[in-house]
Amino acid sequence: MGKALETKELVKWYGKEVLALNKVTFDIDAGDFFVIVGPSGCGKSTLLKIIAGILDYDSGKLYINGVDMKGVPSYKRDVSMMLEMYALFPHMNVFDNVAFGLRMLGKDKSEIEKEVKEALRLVGLAGLEKRMPLELSGGQRQRVALARALVINPSVLLLDEPLSHVDYRLQRKLMEDLKEIHRKVGNTFILTTHVQEHALSLADTVMVMNTGVIEQIGKPEEVYTTPATVFAARFVGEINLFSAQIKSWDGGLCYLTTDIGELKANPKNKNTLPSSGKVAYAIRPEYVKIGEEARLCDNKTEAKLVSYYYFGHYMEYVFEAIGNTKIKVSVPTEKVGNLTLGSTYLLGWSAKDVLLIERPCMIEGLNIEEVIYGK
Amino acid sequence: MSTLQLKMGLTDRVAKYSRYLLLLPGFVLLLLFLLIPLSMIVGISFFERFTVTGPENLTLKNYVAFFTSPQTPVILLNTFGMSLLACLIAFLLGYPMAYFLVFRVKSARVRFFVVSLLLVPFLIDWSVRVVAWLPILGESGIINYALMSWGVIKEPLELLFGRSALLIIWPQTYLLWMIFPSYLALTRIDPDIINAAKVLKAPPHRVFFDITFKLSLPGVVMGFIFVFVSALGDYVTPALWAGGIQTLGLSVANYAANFVWPYAAALSTILVAIALLILYVLLKVVDIKKLVY
Repeated sequence: MGKALETKELVKWYGKEVLALNKVTFDIDAGDFFVIVGPSGCGKSTLLKIIAGILDYDSGKLYINGVDMKGVPSYKRDVSMMLEMYALFPHMNVFDNVAFGLRMLGKDKSEIEKEVKEALRLVGLAGLEKRMPLELSGGQRQRVALARALVINPSVLLLDEPLSHVDYRLQRKLMEDLKEIHRKVGNTFILTTHVQEHALSLADTVMVMNTGVIEQIGKPEEVYTTPATVFAARFVGEINLFSAQIKSWDGGLCYLTTDIGELKANPKNKNTLPSSGKVAYAIRPEYVKIGEEARLCDNKTEAKLVSYYYFGHYMEYVFEAIGNTKIKVSVPTEKVGNLTLGSTYLLGWSAKDVLLIERPCMIEGLNIEEVIYGK
Repeated sequence: MSTLQLKMGLTDRVAKYSRYLLLLPGFVLLLLFLLIPLSMIVGISFFERFTVTGPENLTLKNYVAFFTSPQTPVILLNTFGMSLLACLIAFLLGYPMAYFLVFRVKSARVRFFVVSLLLVPFLIDWSVRVVAWLPILGESGIINYALMSWGVIKEPLELLFGRSALLIIWPQTYLLWMIFPSYLALTRIDPDIINAAKVLKAPPHRVFFDITFKLSLPGVVMGFIFVFVSALGDYVTPALWAGGIQTLGLSVANYAANFVWPYAAALSTILVAIALLILYVLLKVVDIKKLVY
């Protein structure tokens, strides 16, 4: 399979102060649904705008379908983009908004009519051709923007935070639609989001970004189960992180000193870990057991229940162990027992479910504790 | 309960109508100094004479006289043609400046500085500015002097005392009226709308004509109206520098100066009517309602 996109050490400065992209190198397979996830200000929007050609980069290389894009203006790239705030043309109705790109490509009238109709049907807006953008709801505007970007059938479609400015129901609907449309049209989709759930559920490949650098690229389950850095672990999914010191190794088992006492780990990545030194000790909330079940685990600690969050299909409990260390535990709703706030319970988890992460993040010079506990 | 209802009704009504109070001062001003005098002018135009005792003899004579005069086509063409041409020149000079300021000048401070420079001529008294054209455009003025000493021309150009004077002086004088609304309209355009056009395969000239220019049209139309109306109302420049070409405004001034009130009133009415008609057509053609989103 060919590469839809390749970048080599892309660098982008805003003025002299802000380094938006710091030697970003990655590639994307043709036909991939590629999701870039990261906090706001991490450079994901900048990256999309550079790919689209509406922003220039300072150094490095950018190839789309193998062609160097240096100096290639936006309208000559085989790319289209749905901008974050939709940016519909306010003086054109829905039909003309969607038809704009086709007209620019010089397609003839009957063809334009057919393709616009098809695109509007695909996004569920058939019949609204004559409406002006101001007469549309937020969700409808978003769909016009999507149809407008899709209709010119680019080999790479860029979607900048398409899920950010609509309510939850519309988000879900659009996620389903995006997946289905991607399957149907088969183009390469590159989507940015700051919401990790969107990244995990939409992507074929996830790229986690952190102020101008790539933290990790991989399949969603890879990033979730084997985060490359503490930052990636924290950003994708909930996780309990403790600062830990490796004491010794015994076969595959690692013994560590942490804030909540001596703990064991039997991590999958043991071959890449050092024999001593500081690491992050990580356990996902769904692997932590409470009460009777915890008794059988090889890691145990007592902790006081301080709060809980009900999410419908699961419950998240927050416990406080020694030294005010918070431990989150998530339990499927049907398994929720009767716990009382303020009471102390035994928590436990298996050493094989523990992750040990050596690298705090891809930005140089940061202390692992700073990243574990947030700056 | 009924008292409560009454009270609520009263406050509601007060709340509903009190905002119209905001319009009151402006409305009174317009009524006193525009609508009443204008109606008087229109009224007087239908009389044969206007003396100290009041108007005499209701008639259409003034209008008939104007529209049957052989001079009329020339006067109309001078008046509206020159004003519209001045608008066009002001647009061709001013719009690129506004565009440059908005899209090419990154620093807000530089922008502010340039806009302030545009205001400098307005610090000079109007009468001085009118007279100052002689040493600039006159036979031995700066421009002719420079062009002749560089050998570009042998004989001095007749820049003053002809129609060309109006096409230099009006656009220069009213340039700011064109730049400012255009500038404001351009700053209102979301840069992402322009980016959207770019990623939707629009080459630069289509981005400009289909998006940027169209979205700035309300400002451009405003600029046109400002310059057009200002030029129409100016009879001093034609009188001083246009070498005796007749415009409606100038005729009004002449007849009024000789106390031929009814005929001057009829000319004023025609001036206002045609001006309104032109503005109406302009707004229709541009379909401004669609653009003021």
